[in-house]
Amino acid sequence: MISINQLQFAYAGGQFSLQIPELHLESGRSAVIVGPSGSGKTTLLHLIAGILPVTVGEITVGETAVHRLNDAERRLFRLRNIGLVFQDFQLIDYLSVFDNILLPCRIHPSVTPTTSLRNRAQLLMESSGIAPLKNRSVTRLSQGERQRVAICRALLLSPGLILADEPTGNLDPSNSTRIVDLLTAESSRSGATLVMVTHDHSLLPKFDRTVPFEPFLQRVSSTAVSSGVGP
Amino acid sequence: MKQALFLAWQSLWWHRGRSLIIVLSLAITIWLPVTVHLMLNQFRAELIARAEATPLIVGARGSRIDLALHALYFESAPPAEITMAEVNLVTDSNLGIGIPLHVRFRTQPVAGVIGAAIVGTSPEYFEFRKLTIKSGESMTLLGECVVGARIAEAMKLKPGDSILSAPRNAFNLAGDYPLKMNVTGILEHSYSPDDDVVFTDIQTSWVIEGIGHGHQEINSQTDSNLLLNSEDSQTITANAGVLPFTEITSENIDSFHFHGDPESFPLTAMIVVPNDEKSRVRILGRFASNQSASQCLKPLEVVNDLLSIVFRVEQLVWVCSLAAGIVTLILISLVLALSMRLREAEMQTMFRLGCSRSTIAMLQASEILLTMLLAACLAAVACWITVVLAGDSLRQLLF
Repeated sequence: MISINQLQFAYAGGQFSLQIPELHLESGRSAVIVGPSGSGKTTLLHLIAGILPVTVGEITVGETAVHRLNDAERRLFRLRNIGLVFQDFQLIDYLSVFDNILLPCRIHPSVTPTTSLRNRAQLLMESSGIAPLKNRSVTRLSQGERQRVAICRALLLSPGLILADEPTGNLDPSNSTRIVDLLTAESSRSGATLVMVTHDHSLLPKFDRTVPFEPFLQRVSSTAVSSGVGP
Repeated sequence: MKQALFLAWQSLWWHRGRSLIIVLSLAITIWLPVTVHLMLNQFRAELIARAEATPLIVGARGSRIDLALHALYFESAPPAEITMAEVNLVTDSNLGIGIPLHVRFRTQPVAGVIGAAIVGTSPEYFEFRKLTIKSGESMTLLGECVVGARIAEAMKLKPGDSILSAPRNAFNLAGDYPLKMNVTGILEHSYSPDDDVVFTDIQTSWVIEGIGHGHQEINSQTDSNLLLNSEDSQTITANAGVLPFTEITSENIDSFHFHGDPESFPLTAMIVVPNDEKSRVRILGRFASNQSASQCLKPLEVVNDLLSIVFRVEQLVWVCSLAAGIVTLILISLVLALSMRLREAEMQTMFRLGCSRSTIAMLQASEILLTMLLAACLAAVACWITVVLAGDSLRQLLF
């Protein structure tokens, strides 16, 4: 379960302030957060994942109080528990499709690309229809293919929480449906919680719960309380 | 670490053009000073070893370095000569053995190989240098020679072959004629300058110089066109029409003879092997006199003087290499800094996925480490190839 209490966040000099008095997302269920572009949905996902530090309020994922973790702990927590799908894919150009999918275990402190993980990567590729592209450079893939690689990467370590940031943003309706079906099926199969951000209302029926984002948004800049961090 | 190295290798391979330039730049920066150092060390060790093995050298007064290099490496013949009398002086004094050296001629080119120096000496030289025959036998008769291992391989010579000496001046009709020498043996490899020369007896080298010669018998029955004066039946003088034999055979060997006092026959240098330390000091004393036209020197001292010059050259190379290395490192740092900036998005992805700071640092360090490792390997291979293939060229360059 994801619990958010009295969360406040704003970028320094930003155009909006995020204020979430209370939000609970059930474990093992799929939820979609909908709202207009640029409203801070991605920021919320980054706060849940610990990419951005929480300075005001509380975020708890399962038993972990994310707001109490330091930078190193948040990184480890993210690597161990969360599968992230980014809007811009964030694939590594110099790695093949297969090696991009295996990337989380190559940077993990205690997981190495074992045979079982390789087999899992192969299965994920087959289920998402990119198995024939296994050894191809990701720079030679279409947008839909790249997004499927990013999803396979997020699912590799069977995370308890999958955060998908507008994974269908650049895709046609047919590919959008395929991507969402893949995400929901995989999260359902592994019992993972899926939180997806989108502004595409046609996808909402595929999720257990819809969370409108508008109520959390305030168009003010004077309440800036925190700013993001980098590597 | 293994995973970091895998990712680093993938990155290097993906950016292989840039990686190749960095690796080559680093390799050249490492290769140049290391190669110079290795080659000079090898050169220094060879030079010292041969000098240490040669107790004393006697030669005409003049450049000490030229004389030492001539006696040790058969290079740069000194302008003045000593005579056989100096050898006899040492031998008769019972202070040691005098080994004559006469190195003024070269062979004619064979099989496209430039002519080798012809070293006229005595049998004691082979014993002194511990040179042994690999095939054939030692020279015993006038006009015979044995050939150093390396030059024999280059010229494809074997016992039973013959080799021609090269006249120093083609227009000197009254001077030295080419002599066809019979190869009786090939020496074992000694990995020294002795491998690159042709050895012959000192008397054969005098024949090449024209001091000794053989020709048809001249008597009252000889064609008058070959005689200058035959009116006096006691004295018959031949003219230039009587040509000397250019090959010494069993049929004509008895006709070979020398004109003049053997004590006055020229040598380019002499190696002296004293009986003991006391004898060595006494020999040095004999040649130290101002009246002596010869000088006696200790090769090791001369070589050390030479090496001090080489050492200064080496220091210069080091300074230049250091400057070049610093510039290269600055440029490579700039390239790496720009590369890191270009890869900022990649590092951001790593961060977002949860990669720790230490792992990100390891990824970047692994790439630098791999680059340096590749450069070091390439430099090591280049050093080895250069030292093996260009060692002789450096010696020739320095002499």
